[in-house]
Amino acid sequence: MQQEIIEQNIQIEEALENIQKLVDNIETVIRGKRMQIQFILTALLAKGHILMEDNPGTGKTVMAKTLAQSISGRSNEGGVIFKRIQFTPDLLPMDLIGSHIFDDVRKEFIFKKGPLFCNVLLADEINRASPKVQSALLECMAEHQITIGETTYPLEKMFFTIATQNPVEMEGTYPLPAAQLDRFFIKIIFGYVDEETELDIYNNYLGIANNLAHIHQVLSMEEILFLQDEAEKVFVHEEIVKSVRNIVWDTRRHTDIVLGASTRSGITFLKCLKAFALVNGRTFVTEDDLQKITPAVLDHRLIYRNRDAKAKSLASILNKEMDRLSRLKIAERA
Amino acid sequence: MQIGRIHSWKKVTAQLLLLAIPTVALVLYLLYNANEYFALLQNNSSEQVIYFATGIVISLAFYAYRFRFITTALLLFGAYFIAYKFLGKLTIGEFDAFFISVKFLIFALLFSAGWLAGYGFSRSRYFTIFWSVFLLVLQIIVVSKTADITARALISAFAPVLVYAFYIIYTAELIRNMNEDETKFGWFITKRLVGFISLALIVLFGLLLIFQKEFNSIEQDWGGGQGGKNNGGKESMTKQNKDGSLSNKDQMKMTGSLSKDKRLVFVAKLDNFFPDGKTPNPLYFTSTYYTKFDTLTQTFEEDKKLPYNDLFSPDPSKIPLYFAKTDTAVIRNTMATLNRKVVSTDVYRVILSPKEYIAPSTAFFCQPLPVENEYKSQFKSAYRAKMWVSDLNSAYFIYNPAGNKQLEAFQKQRFDRLREASSYAGLDKKFMDYYTFMPRNPEYNRISELAQQITKNAKTPADKMIAIRNYFTQKDEFGQPLFRYSDNPGIPGLPSASKLNYFLFENRKGYCAYFAGATLFLLRSLGIPSRIAAGFLTVDRSSKNPGWYWFYADQAHAWVQLYFPGYGWIDFDTTVPDQNTQQSPQPDGTPPMNTQQALLVADGQAVSIDTAAKRVTMKVKKMLFHDENIPAPEAKDLFMDVSMASVTRDTGEGKLSDIKTGTNIVVVSYAEAMKNVMANETDNLASLIVKLPKPAPIDEIKIMETEEQKKERQKIQAKVSQPFDWVKALWIGLAIIGGFILLLFLLPWLIWQYLNSKAKSNTAARLKAYNIYTASMYYLNQMGIARENQSPQQFAEETDKRFGSSFNRFTNVYQKIKYSSVPLTSNEEMLVQNFYSPFIEKVKNNIPIKKRISGFANIYNTVHFFTKSKIS
Repeated sequence: MQQEIIEQNIQIEEALENIQKLVDNIETVIRGKRMQIQFILTALLAKGHILMEDNPGTGKTVMAKTLAQSISGRSNEGGVIFKRIQFTPDLLPMDLIGSHIFDDVRKEFIFKKGPLFCNVLLADEINRASPKVQSALLECMAEHQITIGETTYPLEKMFFTIATQNPVEMEGTYPLPAAQLDRFFIKIIFGYVDEETELDIYNNYLGIANNLAHIHQVLSMEEILFLQDEAEKVFVHEEIVKSVRNIVWDTRRHTDIVLGASTRSGITFLKCLKAFALVNGRTFVTEDDLQKITPAVLDHRLIYRNRDAKAKSLASILNKEMDRLSRLKIAERA
Repeated sequence: MQIGRIHSWKKVTAQLLLLAIPTVALVLYLLYNANEYFALLQNNSSEQVIYFATGIVISLAFYAYRFRFITTALLLFGAYFIAYKFLGKLTIGEFDAFFISVKFLIFALLFSAGWLAGYGFSRSRYFTIFWSVFLLVLQIIVVSKTADITARALISAFAPVLVYAFYIIYTAELIRNMNEDETKFGWFITKRLVGFISLALIVLFGLLLIFQKEFNSIEQDWGGGQGGKNNGGKESMTKQNKDGSLSNKDQMKMTGSLSKDKRLVFVAKLDNFFPDGKTPNPLYFTSTYYTKFDTLTQTFEEDKKLPYNDLFSPDPSKIPLYFAKTDTAVIRNTMATLNRKVVSTDVYRVILSPKEYIAPSTAFFCQPLPVENEYKSQFKSAYRAKMWVSDLNSAYFIYNPAGNKQLEAFQKQRFDRLREASSYAGLDKKFMDYYTFMPRNPEYNRISELAQQITKNAKTPADKMIAIRNYFTQKDEFGQPLFRYSDNPGIPGLPSASKLNYFLFENRKGYCAYFAGATLFLLRSLGIPSRIAAGFLTVDRSSKNPGWYWFYADQAHAWVQLYFPGYGWIDFDTTVPDQNTQQSPQPDGTPPMNTQQALLVADGQAVSIDTAAKRVTMKVKKMLFHDENIPAPEAKDLFMDVSMASVTRDTGEGKLSDIKTGTNIVVVSYAEAMKNVMANETDNLASLIVKLPKPAPIDEIKIMETEEQKKERQKIQAKVSQPFDWVKALWIGLAIIGGFILLLFLLPWLIWQYLNSKAKSNTAARLKAYNIYTASMYYLNQMGIARENQSPQQFAEETDKRFGSSFNRFTNVYQKIKYSSVPLTSNEEMLVQNFYSPFIEKVKNNIPIKKRISGFANIYNTVHFFTKSKIS
């Protein structure tokens, strides 16, 4: 029994080390985005999906590719299956799901699986497709299965979607409704790199491209599945749970927030917290995790009264909770 | 142009509620106090506080927008200037202008103060400290004006300001850090404020308990305390001395309202009777004259250099018993020869000041008398006064003699006499100019016109006088009295001319000072020499003891005296009777009859005192024997038996042990043994003392104290009423401010010492980690390195970057302790044990000492540390 625990501990520590390696690995290609990488991994380990939003050309796609490559290997052999779909206005749901086609040999319709049957899916520029396609994708993400006619096809056990979207205000976009945004565990604003990193990138863009070509697999699918299970077991202190509850409640009560977070969001929040702790190499959640992850998890789930409120209200709710946590005294535990 | 906002309306509301309202309340309190001591403010604290409140409210709302201070303040001053010029154009006459400009100045000052306070609260973080110190200084100035400083007065003066100071510093920081999107902000603030206020109260009461002794000693040092109750903001016709006795006061104050009390001031026996020898003829008792009108300050004043001065004002407490002080120049200055006689009065003082000399006008003689033993508890001392009194003078001047034939006859007779004096031709021009002076301007011209109109049918001064009296007592068309008596005339706080006009032409209500002031100008405008006399109204209520009069505090009075050539000054009272409160009959006591004749009176210095055998030897300098003055070429010792003697002093009864070698005493003997000793014409002091029995029996000893002795004694008794000591007040005030500032500056450091010692103490790793973390965070916070919107880890990383420390590792361990159930590894335990001191050392080494000191001197950082609710 004890042997088992020790073994498991060793396994966890190895896996945690591997996560750090993975982050480092991705950083060789995507410079100065450690936080975003961590968020993506958090979504992965929390068995969720991630939405990246920013202007074109900030490295979203490269990021997704690098991640996929570093868990699947350069080719899809032996590792995870990585698929990429470029969303366009004329894309149809069947282009994603797959369709029945007539088999000349067997004289019957057989189901040709679409790109959704994979482990890591890069859904590029998701908001350029029509709402019909969007909701098809999001349904699959939520249900983890595809039903066509009377047949239900389960998706892969590890199914992780990295969706990117251009800012909603841009032309030729179909904004995702809040209810669907809810399917994404985490939404991150990718953002530009800082000035120094930018200079660095210009000086080394050839090397970076080379890095991407030579990225190798760091984490196996088994390890990811194992970590996904481990993420569930991360210890969350009751005060942190209380804080999650408080934050969720405060978003509902806040005068500047029209639509607050749901209970499902709260559960997602908790899952993300646990996964984030793991990504940071810890088996317990701290207030740091809470502070860093709250905007990424909650911001896209809330509807604000105006832009000003968007900038401030969640931050003030979080600050209040952080203040509460930082004032907590440590009781002398027996 | 859209001007951006700095503060949300939520914040401005919080500032208004939590900063502005308490500030306005405190300023109201300060102004209320200041109004009591500074006449210029004219008792208008409620109005003044509105100026201040307007300033602070407008400023708070105004500076919630991004306005700059200097430009807006310049605009404000420009507005003041324009308003001032504009007001100057509106006013007519220089007195009005003066008055308006004073009022405007007060307005501008208070409005600016409010404006500045609003700006400070809105924009400046450190303003509250300066503001508190400023208010403390103000309060010291106001307190220093107080005549008698009691512990209660000190506490009530400084405690509110101190509590306010701590409150405002704390609350301002709380609001500065206010999280504007906080849903339960009200509750957040309430919780903290209630906690703070209860703590402040506990500390305050604790301090009071601890320093009660000191307060009492300050109180004794500064005198007062045992005096009577304060009359609050109301005016009184008498002024309370520190020892509780009363003096006649500046009666011509015409502000506020008059408060009356019913305390007995003195009792007098006046042997002035009508020609029938039975009916008492009461006379008003004069204390002083107001002859001069100061056009600048618009007040009536006493004049020490009045021409033909007929005011005799000795200090009875300085005159030895039975020895008389006279000033016959008074009689000459009266220039009165017709129908005059000498009248004497005995005044027994109760709460009248021993220095005060009160007698009917033209008094020229003062002789202190002893009080009979059985009355000693009732009357402190007594004196006899003699006056050069006109037969035509009487307190019955305006009282209706209806029914009393004798009085009616007297009135008629004396008016007939006075009518004879119809010309002021022969009088000294200087005298006439002085006593008929009145300022010339429209306000006073209006009074002149009224005087002409009232007296158009009167020829002689006497008739004019009667006409004026009739004007004040006449009834209007509805049968109601035209003028009414009121202690509370509700006259607006205006300078005298406007006030008298308001009284004469508008509301026609007032107390004696109004009637006297108005009458004076009416008379002077007609060219009749007149002056205002202040003193006590004499009311004959005693049928049992004719000639005895009882004087209560509410009989303090002011009236007018007219000059009639040949007849001199005649009292003339135009005050109408008070219809609301009829003179309630006072229970008059038994008069203190003085029957014994003093056979021996000696004045000198005590040489030796034997309190056990009750023998005293004194060096006699002056002696009265059988009412004869004994020539005393040189001082001689007199050996006395004082076993029967009662000892008195100015302030009441004394003890034999109060007499020390060198004390000036006056001794009196009524003893039979003295009757048998006769003084020859050739006897001098030395030869007479030989004839006296040895020891000489003595019945009265009066201690005549010099001012120095009095002070010494009062110091010993610790019941001092000495003048206010400015230097001491300044020191105490500075000490209070200094202590306050020192506490403010030391507080962060003291807290640090506490946290530091806690962090260094040996406890279990969990608790130790917590203490270390708190102490480290506090130290960094005092150094100005505060965690604002960073997460603990980010903050630790930045700190490490700055100081090369290992705060991040420690923070991680601390977070593990806080949020994890996993026990610490031995490495982590070591880290907790060895982290603290090196870390603090590193931080110390990286921050120059100057910055460290200034960091610890900054209480705002401390407040911030304990109140912060971080702002996005």
